[in-house]
Amino acid sequence: MSSSVTDLHAVRAAAARPLTPSLSVDLAPGAKRELTLRNPVMTASGTSSNGLELARLFDINRLGSVLSKGVTLKPRRGNPTPRIVETPAGMLNSIGFQNVGVSKLLSDVATVWETWNVPVVVNMLGDTVDEFARLAQVLDGAPGVAGLEVNISCPNLDVGGVAFGRDPVAAARVVEAVVTSTTLPVIAKLTPDVTDITVIAQACQDAGADALCVANSFVGMSIDVNSRRPRTNRPVAGLTGPAIKPLALRLVWETANAVEIPVIGCGGIMDGRDAVEFILAGATAVQVGTASFRDPFAPIQVLEELVQYCTENGVSDINDLIGAVQVD
Amino acid sequence: MRRAAARVIQTEEIYPGTFVTWYDAPALSQHAKPGQFVMVDAGAERSGLDPLLPRAFSYYRFRYASPHDSERQFALLYSLIGRVTEQMASMQPGDRVWMTGPLGRGFEVRRSAANLLLVGGGVGIAPLVALADAESEHASRSRSIVLCFGARGAEGVYPAELLPPQVEYQVATEDGSMGRPGFVTDLFAEHLSWADQSFACGPVPMFRAMSPIVRRDGMSRPVQILMETEMACGTGICYGCAVFTKRGVKLCCKDGPRFELLDVYPNG
Repeated sequence: MSSSVTDLHAVRAAAARPLTPSLSVDLAPGAKRELTLRNPVMTASGTSSNGLELARLFDINRLGSVLSKGVTLKPRRGNPTPRIVETPAGMLNSIGFQNVGVSKLLSDVATVWETWNVPVVVNMLGDTVDEFARLAQVLDGAPGVAGLEVNISCPNLDVGGVAFGRDPVAAARVVEAVVTSTTLPVIAKLTPDVTDITVIAQACQDAGADALCVANSFVGMSIDVNSRRPRTNRPVAGLTGPAIKPLALRLVWETANAVEIPVIGCGGIMDGRDAVEFILAGATAVQVGTASFRDPFAPIQVLEELVQYCTENGVSDINDLIGAVQVD
Repeated sequence: MRRAAARVIQTEEIYPGTFVTWYDAPALSQHAKPGQFVMVDAGAERSGLDPLLPRAFSYYRFRYASPHDSERQFALLYSLIGRVTEQMASMQPGDRVWMTGPLGRGFEVRRSAANLLLVGGGVGIAPLVALADAESEHASRSRSIVLCFGARGAEGVYPAELLPPQVEYQVATEDGSMGRPGFVTDLFAEHLSWADQSFACGPVPMFRAMSPIVRRDGMSRPVQILMETEMACGTGICYGCAVFTKRGVKLCCKDGPRFELLDVYPNG
């Protein structure tokens, strides 16, 4: 009897303590090098530059992971202006991979990442399969680099980009070339603009990807009716923001049901409840993107609200939420 | 750079269609300099998704509410051009609006410069008034400030009485209804050789018209211009606000908004 009283005390004491949920997630189970995040909140590539600006605003080490801006072998000037146009609850962008090139990224930026206590994943893009492989080789073993995100989904380029991501054979060739050129965990960032994303997802999984990011921006368009010209520098551009959230969520759910490897949800996440939706749909982690343009503290707020949701709903381990949506 | 909910103090229409709102948010004004800007988050609530993106506004004026105050209030000047500015003008005293700032690189004035030439058009007047205010405070340096302003007609002219008394105000109107008939760039051409330093903010055609004037002068005198571009974030993370200069691709929000005229418009 006395032991059951003790148990009751223990239960009451536990209930009175604020629950500190376990937030750690594994993005590359079984990989040569691990990619374990202290929590599932990442930045989305192209929406936080290389993290240095955000690191001046808050403790960057609180995030689960930081994504670099997309990097190419050679420096790129990017597209002409206008590169940005706002649309209802979203925006179109056509930046065109303005970046300093991988050499300068490693010499000037990765040296800062090395001092951080947060895994930095480099988003990388080549015009050819061979360029992807060369980038993977250059980045392999570079101090400060914890993983690679293979960009086969950028809609704002004449060569490569989304063309790779729309063809399962081409997508698999790119992923395979990267995987065989690096010991780093490899994430394939998929395009949402395909008929059946599960075909591409499975092709990337079979080619050796450790995780999938679902998804990049949707290809969209906006026309100025006065000038009768597109409102971005190229006729079409990438649509992001809350406008695409239900679409991205559906893609995450479909993908997570079709593959064994972790899926990272990305698309219009503005707050913690949005993040929970993606995790329930099957995402192991989430990327916060356009929200940071409105409020650069958005990734931290998403994290805090995610923790609050877990605490309020008795979620002791975030992994219990992954794919826990009830559809029956 | 800080993010804060600025409290609206008062709003006033200073000339037809152009408004000034005073805000209280010490975090946003404490270290702000003329030529820097804030991003105003139009959707007052985070759930307000349309408009989604914040908008950039130059600091227009600073003031202390009383002589004993150590913290400055600041003002923004804007024309009613869309949903965001309409919302700004309709906010009541005590209302709060989220802003991020101070952002960007503002004007740089040399200590030794005695004659300052300021050239503006439209709402481009805002950062120039901030600069004129700041430089008028240094009475001991005996600076001369000429501010040239251009508008289509008298109804669009910034009121002279709002400027510090030390500022010599020169106006050009395209329809000749006030000041000199013609363009503000005519006034700029007349004063360029007088100036030790020149500063400009206005529409792109104004900058383009200034470029040949500077080159014709033969000295290629530096002119600091304050630029405005499409911009999503204002904080250097989106890369939307590219400015193509002689020194490479720059970001308006982070590398600017202050640029050298001839770096951006070498040939008009």
